[in-house]
Amino acid sequence: MAAKPPPARPHIGLHSSFNARSNADWGEDDVWDSGSDSESPRQSTISNSWRLPPSPSSYRRQSSPITAPKPVPRPPSNSSSSNVSFSYTHLSAPSPGSYPSNAADTTQPAKGGWTMVRKSGTSQEALCAKLPKDIDPIGDVDVDSDMVVGDFEPEMEQAAGIKAKPDQGSIKSDVIEIMNDPLHRFLRSPQPPPEPRFNHRMGHSPRSSDAEKLLRESSIRTNRRIKFIDCLSKDDVNISELRKLAWAGTPNDLRAAVWPILLGYLPLPSNLRASTLARKRGEYSSLVELAFARDRQGLDQQIWHQIEIDVPRTRPGVRLWMQASTQRSLERILYVWAIRHPASGYVQGINDLVTPFFQVFLSAYIDSDPEEFDTSLLPTAVLSAVEADSFWCLSRLLDGIQDNYISAQPGIQRSVKRMAELVARIDAPLYTHLESQNVEFMQFAFRWMNCLLMREISVKNTIRMWDTYLAEGADAFSQFHLYVCSAFLVKWSEKLRQMDFQGIIMFLQSLPTQDWGDHEIEMLLSEAFVLNSIWHNAQSHFNAK
Amino acid sequence: MSKQFQFKLVLLGESAVGKSSLVLRFVKDQFDDYRESTIGAAFLTQTITLEDQTTVKFEIWDTAGQERYKSLAPMYYRNANCAVVVYDITQAASLEKAKTWIRELQRQADPSIVIALCGNKLDLSARRQVTEEEASKYADEEGLLWSETSAKTGEGVNAIFNAIAKKLPLTAPPSARGARVAAPGATRQSVDLNRQSTAHGSEACNC
Repeated sequence: MAAKPPPARPHIGLHSSFNARSNADWGEDDVWDSGSDSESPRQSTISNSWRLPPSPSSYRRQSSPITAPKPVPRPPSNSSSSNVSFSYTHLSAPSPGSYPSNAADTTQPAKGGWTMVRKSGTSQEALCAKLPKDIDPIGDVDVDSDMVVGDFEPEMEQAAGIKAKPDQGSIKSDVIEIMNDPLHRFLRSPQPPPEPRFNHRMGHSPRSSDAEKLLRESSIRTNRRIKFIDCLSKDDVNISELRKLAWAGTPNDLRAAVWPILLGYLPLPSNLRASTLARKRGEYSSLVELAFARDRQGLDQQIWHQIEIDVPRTRPGVRLWMQASTQRSLERILYVWAIRHPASGYVQGINDLVTPFFQVFLSAYIDSDPEEFDTSLLPTAVLSAVEADSFWCLSRLLDGIQDNYISAQPGIQRSVKRMAELVARIDAPLYTHLESQNVEFMQFAFRWMNCLLMREISVKNTIRMWDTYLAEGADAFSQFHLYVCSAFLVKWSEKLRQMDFQGIIMFLQSLPTQDWGDHEIEMLLSEAFVLNSIWHNAQSHFNAK
Repeated sequence: MSKQFQFKLVLLGESAVGKSSLVLRFVKDQFDDYRESTIGAAFLTQTITLEDQTTVKFEIWDTAGQERYKSLAPMYYRNANCAVVVYDITQAASLEKAKTWIRELQRQADPSIVIALCGNKLDLSARRQVTEEEASKYADEEGLLWSETSAKTGEGVNAIFNAIAKKLPLTAPPSARGARVAAPGATRQSVDLNRQSTAHGSEACNC
């Protein structure tokens, strides 16, 4: 695919309601630089950074040598017999009294984006009360993961020769502080924390044009980071400013704080965040407690059966998702969501939608690749927080696309139909060709809507895409997404127009997006933005029915 | 030169009975313990050669099993020449679901559709819940092909597709059958490629 230069901000001014994004700030930094660091040079430095010794601060909490981590139980090969009672024992729930009498009410977002429900505070106290107990494992978990390598997989240590690469991943030293305030690392000082991996690289490539380019990119990134941190530091975050920043991509390390704010899960006033987090996490614990209060027979059999089938085959082959402790978390998230939304229940594909949230929240606590991380190493309270935050953010996302998953899936039917109408307008030759080959949009675009393109692009790509979706607002996952899907299809127009039915269908179900990075995603998003600007308020121009 | 035929085949059955695994074994001779669930449907093709050197190309729609996706199924079985309805021999409920699909096919699909009932996961026969007698008796009553397979070991997989190919009307005049369909692709019926070489370029009337 030809890497065309990005259009010169084609979207500015196309949309009359887009004032917020067209202010002077756009001129200062490069909107095409997402700051999300997925370009390949950066990847290589990440692996380099693993070789660096942990910062002195990460040793501070090491009070005792590591205790042997318990081996991770692998799921049994037959998925239907996994043990339910095992699955939620580690989640310590607050007293049942904290369970809200009408749980559904507490999740309805107020207009301002979050709910202000004053409750007894039991759940918060319960969570706080168990913190000291949960802090203990920190002392036991060695942040220098080199030691863990040997404990888990001796053969890998031998193969590596040197203790080069963390196997299980390394946990940050201040996970409890991060858990209580996702921004605590960033709001202490206005300067971003030093980035040793960058300095490390610069030392090896002096004065080359590459180095200058990297320096320039780095300064753009730093600039964007500072703006993000400025924005997030306010006592009352300016949401439109945050949306404007996030549209062009959120820095990896800030995402776990930015996404919940954009979703309305975290409140804008900074002084309410810690208490909101504690309350919502406590609430989730109560929901889990209630949902799994009885034994397996007490579960909704149909829903549980489907979840039990799908959890072991969610992102198969990815270490994080093959671990028992992650799978138990995923089961609870899906089951609790499903029983709270009986009109849809659990629908295949929702499991995919959990994974970006879980990986983003997990990333906040660790210094390594979340997909390789062993979640059983995390303190219980931290894993519970990752799970609860993922649950609430998933709920927010699904609130906007619930009719994708109810009976007959009318949301998807409508989106696919509108996508076909739009493609007929923006790429008539392609539309005509698909029609002549008897390709129905539903045959390929159903999945694009049902899984939000997650089966077509990587999780890393998805995360970058969601930065923009979340910045776009509540209906982006239904409205904006259909423009993204249309742009995505038209991208392959030339190829598709030379294929017959079989070629088209086969091509569309295994698209060559494996090498896609932020650049390709941002091109797609900008094309979708243009389409959205032109067509969204011009429904009458769509093919009239 | 030997005859070549092309047929549309649809796979139906409850979630996780092994529809995708069965097709993957048939088409690529591979097996994965864990495969992502199928969303919507997946399309694959495979060509087999019968003893008389007739070649049969299957265009396979492997559908998603979850009940929620049921409304999509007619799009895939609408013009199918043959269907493989799969159940899991270790899950009695999956045979009931298979029977529901078969009733729906008998009511809604092309009356000449060839239906095969397939009990998968034969490698797990130690945990069998559906007896061979029960399933084969039902298949006889309904006039279906029936056999048991293991996508994991490959046992019986090619056999069931071969059996289908033999039961398909390889002697039917393709032109007569083809005249009923509007265009190639989704609605194409059996096509004798010797007589009508432009399988994808049919200019049949659309009205």
